Amino acid sequence: MGSLVRSAIGRTGILRGFPRIVSASQFAPFTSPSRPPPNYEGHVPLTIPERGLLAMGSAVMSLLNPRRGDLIAALGEATATPYFIYRLRDVMLSSPTGRKILKDRPRINSATMSMERLRSLPDGTVGREYAAWLDKEGVSPDTRSQVRYIDDPECAYVMQRYRECHDFYHALTGLPIVVEGEIALKAFEFANTLIPMTGLSMFAVARLKPEERRRALTTYFPWAIRNGLQAKEVINIYWEEELETDVKELRKRIGLEKPPE
Amino acid sequence: MSPIWWLRSRGAIPHIKSSTSRPQFIAFRYSPVPRTYATTNVPEDLYDVVIVGGGPAGLSLATSLRSSSVTSRLRVALIEGLDLGAGRKWKPSIENYSNRVSSLTPGSVGFLNDIGVWKHVQRNRVQAYHGMQVWDGVSGSRIEFNWDAKNSSTIAYMTENVNLVHGLLSRLEELGGAQLIDKTRVEGISFGEDRGTLDLRTWPVVQIAGGRKLVARLLVGADGANSPVRTFAGIESRGWDYGRHGAVATVKIEGMPGAERTAYQRFLPTGPIALLPLPGNLATLVWSTTPEIAAQLKKLSSVDFVAMVNGAFRLSHVDIAYMAKMDGRISEEYEWRQSVTPLDMAGVPSTILEVQENSVSSFPLKMRHADSYISERVALVGDAAHTVHPLAGQGLNQGIGDVQSLIKTLEAAVQAGQDIGSTLSLEPYCSDQYLRNSLMIGVVDKLHKLYGTASPPVVAVRSLGLRAVNAMEGLKSMIMKQAAGER
Repeated sequence: MGSLVRSAIGRTGILRGFPRIVSASQFAPFTSPSRPPPNYEGHVPLTIPERGLLAMGSAVMSLLNPRRGDLIAALGEATATPYFIYRLRDVMLSSPTGRKILKDRPRINSATMSMERLRSLPDGTVGREYAAWLDKEGVSPDTRSQVRYIDDPECAYVMQRYRECHDFYHALTGLPIVVEGEIALKAFEFANTLIPMTGLSMFAVARLKPEERRRALTTYFPWAIRNGLQAKEVINIYWEEELETDVKELRKRIGLEKPPE
Repeated sequence: MSPIWWLRSRGAIPHIKSSTSRPQFIAFRYSPVPRTYATTNVPEDLYDVVIVGGGPAGLSLATSLRSSSVTSRLRVALIEGLDLGAGRKWKPSIENYSNRVSSLTPGSVGFLNDIGVWKHVQRNRVQAYHGMQVWDGVSGSRIEFNWDAKNSSTIAYMTENVNLVHGLLSRLEELGGAQLIDKTRVEGISFGEDRGTLDLRTWPVVQIAGGRKLVARLLVGADGANSPVRTFAGIESRGWDYGRHGAVATVKIEGMPGAERTAYQRFLPTGPIALLPLPGNLATLVWSTTPEIAAQLKKLSSVDFVAMVNGAFRLSHVDIAYMAKMDGRISEEYEWRQSVTPLDMAGVPSTILEVQENSVSSFPLKMRHADSYISERVALVGDAAHTVHPLAGQGLNQGIGDVQSLIKTLEAAVQAGQDIGSTLSLEPYCSDQYLRNSLMIGVVDKLHKLYGTASPPVVAVRSLGLRAVNAMEGLKSMIMKQAAGER
């Protein structure tokens, strides 16, 4: 954990002017000798003050620089406990499909998702739309980082699953590829999953141009909140089994309206 | 003696003599009514105490009336609709235990010992326990009452109801004198008539099958929740149904070393589940839950039932709610879930291995409290007076507490030469026991409601509260004393 915050803060240059000794004493609590052993591969157990610092630091920094996906991920993990990630896990445990996902713990990456195959699927299918979105953004399924700061292994998987499915939500909702669309998707996710980070992302509205902000607030937000609440939980969609499903049909099944143009 | 005292007393003493002794003397001599003997012309159908209901409460009352030197001269009859012979001839097998088991507090056992019943109870089938683990099924916060080798005090004695009834009947037989009328239904209760020398217009008359009538100086209703005696007395019973069923079963658990035994109770949002120790590797299960889950439990295969119950002590309440709706393969689901659910092994009961055949049954849970326990020539005891949620295991103990209080009241009335049926004589029973029971029923009802939700703010507050109580040893020992039925 230390390395991430240290590198993040280091890169911003905030500490550049301070003498070395100040930064050493500030980081002393992060090297707690009583740190418990990790609960799963890659797990970094945090104390409560550490978690609070991580949440605040990553929130401020990711607002200043929204391109820092790693900080947004850290913010998501630091604010998901207590309660929120457990609630989302319980949502999954209450649904047969959600339980199946938790039992299989499938991962989405380029090894499990063949892009060649997805691109060859018929137009309008979930897999084809997903591949099209990734191609447009110029990213691969491998760009999602590993969950590290959630203590319960199962809840860590839920966070991982949410993160890896994010690109599928783009394919499902069909929101336009503009910054308002991205923020609207976060609003939809917040209403649907209650993950606090998605709600905190709403502050990004502050960075929009006045015209964009007006469009986001009057056109996309009402749609996002209404649909996020009325639709079934998207975390319970077993995407691997829906690749050949028609997007319109899937939207209808989970009760999702087409977003405004 | 000083002369002054002598002078003063000379004037006083004759005066006192003349004013007190003379009228008494006259009263004896000029008594206008010739003296009669009350025992000579008492009609056959007249009883001092008629008890309706031969359950543990009714039988304890009959036994204590017979065993007390003060009340043993009273004519006592007990009417029961079922066959008491079954309890009398009870011959249990070593391996099988009844699913109707009660936890008797040390207070109740002390009273049963005093009236000579406890020595007739088969002690090898009674299991005492000294530790208790109670925890929140949502947050996991818990309260512990640990077994302590130095200062071991028994929390309660797990006793089969039939074992207690058998003990009561044996003791009654040993004492003799009480008239037990079993396999006989009460057909009606009315008031008696004026028989000239004997005005019975305020006396209840119990008409039983076969046309026989019993006239009662005091009629005691120990006749259960739908008490006909209470209806006759016009006493209203108020309360509500919990919309929950109590599922019970006898189960076999993984063996535990040592003599100490612990009771476990976990509060799930649908109701608490408890596992209480029986002798050997057996335990009795009481699971208060929704009628749907209770019905499901009765239909499950033995393997799935065991998985369901083990899960109810170990898994998240969300898992339990989901598994209760599954059509089968619950044990597979349990295997998976318990492998991914973190667990503190010290805080849960040992694994249940199997369920005793035909031991799963259930009954609806209610809260009822009669407006009063007494009216002219009527007293109510046990379930006729109150019904409580079983989460604290206090139902039978309250019934025994009623008997304990009523017998004390009747002894006082007999010693004072009062009519034992008058409300004046019975009043101490009602005032003594009503508040005590009210408190218990209220606390248990609030606990049921407090733990009947998974709402996060409520869970947070109640968990904080439970942790605080758990940290306060003094308060904990006070709770234990209350629960142990100390008077």
